[in-house]
Amino acid sequence: MPNIESQIFSSYQRNPLLHDEIFDQEGQVKAIYQKLFNLYGEHSIEDYIQLNNKAKSSFFNQGITFQVYGKKETQEKIFPFDLFPRIIDSQEWETIESGVIQRSRALNLFLSDLYHEKKIIKQGVVPLELISSSANYLHQMLGIDPPGGIYNHISGTDIIKHNDGNWYVLEDNIRCPSGVSYVICNRTALKRALFGVFNHYQTHTVTDYAENLLDLLETVKPHGVDQPNCIVITPGMYNSAFYEHSYLAKTMGVELVEGRDLFVENDFVYMKTIKGPQRVDIIYRRIDDLFLDPLEFREDSTLGVPGLFAAYKKGNVTLANAPGTGVADDKAVYTYMPEIIKYYLGEDPILSNVYTYHCSRPQELKYVLENVDKLVIKPVDEAGGYGISIGNKLTKKEINERKKQVKEDPRKYVAQPIMSLSVHPTYIDENHSFEQRHVDLRTFTILGKDKEFVLKGGLTRVALQKGNLIVNSSQGGGSKDTWVLKNQ
Amino acid sequence: MLSRVADNLFWMGRYIERSEHMARYLNVNYFSSLDAPNQISQSRQFVLKSIMFMAGEPESDAEQKLKEEEVLFRIGFDTKYPSSILNNVKNARENANSARDLISTELYEAINKFYHFVSSYSAEAFVKNGLHDFTTHVTEMTAILRGKIRGTLLHNEVYAIIMLGVNIERATQIIRIINAKYHDALKAQGSYGDKFSNSYEWSTLLKCAESYDMMRRFYKKTPTSISTLEFLILNPNCPRSVMNCLNQVYNNIKVLDPDYRYNRTSTAFLVGRVRAEFQYKYIEEIENDIQAFISDILDNLGEISKKMQREFFNY
Repeated sequence: MPNIESQIFSSYQRNPLLHDEIFDQEGQVKAIYQKLFNLYGEHSIEDYIQLNNKAKSSFFNQGITFQVYGKKETQEKIFPFDLFPRIIDSQEWETIESGVIQRSRALNLFLSDLYHEKKIIKQGVVPLELISSSANYLHQMLGIDPPGGIYNHISGTDIIKHNDGNWYVLEDNIRCPSGVSYVICNRTALKRALFGVFNHYQTHTVTDYAENLLDLLETVKPHGVDQPNCIVITPGMYNSAFYEHSYLAKTMGVELVEGRDLFVENDFVYMKTIKGPQRVDIIYRRIDDLFLDPLEFREDSTLGVPGLFAAYKKGNVTLANAPGTGVADDKAVYTYMPEIIKYYLGEDPILSNVYTYHCSRPQELKYVLENVDKLVIKPVDEAGGYGISIGNKLTKKEINERKKQVKEDPRKYVAQPIMSLSVHPTYIDENHSFEQRHVDLRTFTILGKDKEFVLKGGLTRVALQKGNLIVNSSQGGGSKDTWVLKNQ
Repeated sequence: MLSRVADNLFWMGRYIERSEHMARYLNVNYFSSLDAPNQISQSRQFVLKSIMFMAGEPESDAEQKLKEEEVLFRIGFDTKYPSSILNNVKNARENANSARDLISTELYEAINKFYHFVSSYSAEAFVKNGLHDFTTHVTEMTAILRGKIRGTLLHNEVYAIIMLGVNIERATQIIRIINAKYHDALKAQGSYGDKFSNSYEWSTLLKCAESYDMMRRFYKKTPTSISTLEFLILNPNCPRSVMNCLNQVYNNIKVLDPDYRYNRTSTAFLVGRVRAEFQYKYIEEIENDIQAFISDILDNLGEISKKMQREFFNY
């Protein structure tokens, strides 16, 4: 069967050193992609140019955009979307799903322990510095029992496929992970553009996320509340993820509020409506810990609600995620995840960690400084792909600067071997052709009281620049619709 | 519904309506002056001053010469001028943004498209030769928005709030337009064969309110000052009349506080009062002292808006 000769792939260049998700080492299309490949092959590249433009203007007109903060002005951009979907078969997905649930549950137990007895530290499994030196450890949370015992209600676990064909966890995001609305938009856009291809695959839906989120949040309602009133709180419409906040509120059918819409009286939270104050029981918050309550955290915060934390402490309101989860998703804790999972669940990790060197350990610091060119070095507490260096992309001068930075504040950095993220054919607009690009996958896990949910799909993020390994959207990444197939 | 969001939706309605009237006023006045029957009405300065008057900037110096491109730019695209069409549309969209979870995707998408149309239109092309194209698009797009508001939203509080904004703004703009054209009709009096009461300006006024054809159908006569004012102020069946707007405001405010309308401190009570007064007015008493009437009704509309602020939008 001719495959790579198909017109739209005629100029596709396959780098044999990379793990291509649709072509095997011999250049043959993998079985799971064969039907899709044939269907796409019926189109010409001109069709793609047209479809791609249509998809772009559809995103733009719907206002599915995010703000990029530049030096001079803020620009409105669409999140680049790729028309070629990624497929994950049901067996592979089962591993991923059980793996991310396992991590989320372990992290939840870890958080509960850190804010109560700290057994894991007392027994020497993880070092005390992990929390004593972490900016995200909130002493205010000590001894507090969140409703339903849940801290990380929503987790975004980033995973990659290495060139050994296995999945690895790159990082856990358990503060306010974003991106789920793009998963749903990508599906909608692909359905509009190429509805025919869906007839040939049994794909799990992704549109059930919001209803599951609301269901699971309602399982952790405050004690004594019958019909909880759930809301979403946003920093406001100038936030880069505002589209997502409004999307989630709309699809859950709940109010989208800002801090100034809420007030606290006698340790209960109310929102100001046209018919007077209305009680609020569950808050899905999309503002950071330190801005939640000016009385408790940053005094200058205008995004939060004075008195909110006191209401939380009394158990009168649920915050999802709980304050203080950030201590467990920084890159230093990440390296202890295998031990943490083993300690709380007595299980081996289902998904592997990427081996990580701690610059805080003298032995490992020495290795890192000698091998800057072979390692990815990351600050432990930065989000959004900032401050990362990739060894083989650095000049001599940059290597020396990097060494200096790490030496100055070793606790701030961890290092990992350069992982080879798998590649996926991606339509590149400038060149009007399909090319290999690196991808990762953000999964979304929701924990409720004795219940969990993993979105069957996820955000496949694409590094649009050739050879680039950083796939974050604030760094010019795109995304793909991701199909999880039903068991056939 | 959150008070803040209600406030934003109210203003979304107002800004949509405002941009429409500005655009149509520009269009109708500019093009009807081109072949106006008398010299005064045909002069460029007359039209430009009328446009500035309607925008709330009456001339301070009769000798002053306005520049066409400057006036058009100011009304259409000047970001420093708060009531430019561009700023109105920007504000409408910004308000819609903050209530995005409450309105339909269809309505949001229409507003978003509207904004992108206006913000990407070349201001240069507009002042040179795009006046007709641009203003026609703006008025058409606002009609689409009204259709989406009525056709895709639940007719509940959200809808009532938006319609309150639309109708209060419409009444306000119609009165401003009447005021401007009344002023023009007075100015145009000097020319030969053009008396105040059957001035050409009354037809222009009706066209500015998209009411010319229906007015002709209703009276079957050439518009005069009295019949035009009666139609645009008191006729309850004319969708742009002040009376009609007040009726709509009354119906919508009832949705918001059904039990409260007999309480004399409520907005609904005030609306009912203003409306009742209009129901028993006749046009001659209005025309007797039109200036007093105009400032009176504008005050009342402002008072209704302020009361709504206190009663519903307090956050």
